[in-house]
Amino acid sequence: MFNVKISLFSHTKELEQKIDMLHDKIIEASMVFKKAADVYLKEKRSKNYRKLSKEIKTIEHDADVLRRDIENRLYSQNLIPDFRGNILELVENLDKVINEFDEVAHKFYIEQPDIPEKYHERFKELVGQVCECAENLAMASRAFFYDLSAVRDYSKKVYWLEHESDKTTASLKEGVFDSDMELAHKLQLNSFLTEVADIADLAENCIDQLLIYVIKRDI
Amino acid sequence: MDLSYLFFLSSGLFLGWSLGANDAANIFGTAVGTKMVRFNTAAVIASIFIILGAVFGGAGTTETLDTLGSVNTLPGAFMIALAAAVTVYWMSRTGVSVSTSQAIVGAIIGWNFYCGESTDVSVIGKIFGTWVLCPLLAGAVSVFLYFLLRLFIRYTRIHILRQDSYVRMGLMIMGAVCAYALGANNIANIMGVFVDSAPFHDFKIDNVVYLTRIQILFLLGGMAIAVGIVTYSHNVIRTVGNNMFKMSPLAALTVVMAQAIVLLLFSSQGLRDFLVSHSLPAFPLVPVSSTQAVIGAILGIGLLKGGRGVNWGITGRIVVGWIVTPLIALVVCFVSLFFLENVFNQVVYQPELNLL
Repeated sequence: MFNVKISLFSHTKELEQKIDMLHDKIIEASMVFKKAADVYLKEKRSKNYRKLSKEIKTIEHDADVLRRDIENRLYSQNLIPDFRGNILELVENLDKVINEFDEVAHKFYIEQPDIPEKYHERFKELVGQVCECAENLAMASRAFFYDLSAVRDYSKKVYWLEHESDKTTASLKEGVFDSDMELAHKLQLNSFLTEVADIADLAENCIDQLLIYVIKRDI
Repeated sequence: MDLSYLFFLSSGLFLGWSLGANDAANIFGTAVGTKMVRFNTAAVIASIFIILGAVFGGAGTTETLDTLGSVNTLPGAFMIALAAAVTVYWMSRTGVSVSTSQAIVGAIIGWNFYCGESTDVSVIGKIFGTWVLCPLLAGAVSVFLYFLLRLFIRYTRIHILRQDSYVRMGLMIMGAVCAYALGANNIANIMGVFVDSAPFHDFKIDNVVYLTRIQILFLLGGMAIAVGIVTYSHNVIRTVGNNMFKMSPLAALTVVMAQAIVLLLFSSQGLRDFLVSHSLPAFPLVPVSSTQAVIGAILGIGLLKGGRGVNWGITGRIVVGWIVTPLIALVVCFVSLFFLENVFNQVVYQPELNLL
């Protein structure tokens, strides 16, 4: 009986670590993406950018492995039965944010859009907001597992940052379509701006769900 | 042993079965309803600890029932238990979670009326008082525990998965305590009326096992409850677990803890002695209803959360059931005693033997 108990808690501990690692992966992906965006604006598709893009791909792959492992363990060890579905959904949504970082970084590598210098500062601003949004999502989600009361604080930040990123995206798009660029170029930049902003949108959707889980979980 | 005794005892065993089918839901309903504990695990734990509670802690509340009505013939005891069992079974079939305690008290008062025995008003007052006090106390205890658990979780910041493991263990441990307390408290309801006429002898194996004749009777009653749990409690468990108020596992743990505390307060002689010796207010040792305790505890938490999640329709039906159950048992017992005496020529009452 004693052994069973110890083994039960050790399994739980391992799973706790894996969930923590998934949150770390979001923060890592966000930081590398920010750096990659800076490098792209300076060097375009350079060796450095390629290296950073690959780094994000590795993070995305590791996150996928972690997600599958977490899902398997939650079911095979019959943990948290009343809430398992919600945790799985949360883990999948966190993984989607990491996937989006990877997709956008890879798209930059493949399509090599030309971003005129006059938009660089505002583009950096957008990337900064989106990355901070994702990082706050990771902190909110981590808090959900340890301290429900802190989720609300991080959620507020995510909502605010998402709103700010929307404003930045709108002003950038306005600038692009008001410019003398070719329509194809405008459309390409529009598509890139939308994809970058989508990361913040995904984070916001994830927070919406998280806040419902908090209400459900609160005893 | 006289075989007729076993026949008459069968109504008590039927009542025990009804109690098992009905009251296991109060102990493990929330745990199974929230999928934290499997039904089979719950059934095994509940069965073992109810039997232990009945055999080793059942004496205190039996005395109270004995002073309410000293049933001194086997046919009389048979009919009281049968009337209570039929009432509990019938009420359970209508989907109302009822109290075995109330049914048996109603049936004993019916016996008193039929036999022209005076009913001790002070004992009735004591029992009825606890029926009001029990759910109120359970509600208050559950609210207190709720705040305590909330504070504990806020300050310790235990991971949600670890919390889950602790809650699961807590539900099983507190379920076991509840089952013990229920066995100790409610065995008087199903076997109390047979105590005076129990034909068993004390049982001893060296110095290891020693059971008095009453404990053997209670062991049989406990086993009947266990059979009720294993064979019929699954559906009732699912109803109690989810219908009245949708609960989180932590709230479920709070409810079970509150129930265990209240049942122990009303059934543990040791706890009562401890409280009295420390000049603290003690509670009368009265068979209280685990149904009332669990519903009081659930409502306590439900009201604390604003009362929006509480299913008031079901709650209302349950409370009406608390008033109707003793009345139905009283009437059924009264009418059945008439038939038993006049159609089957059984002696249901012997005035000269009633010394208490």
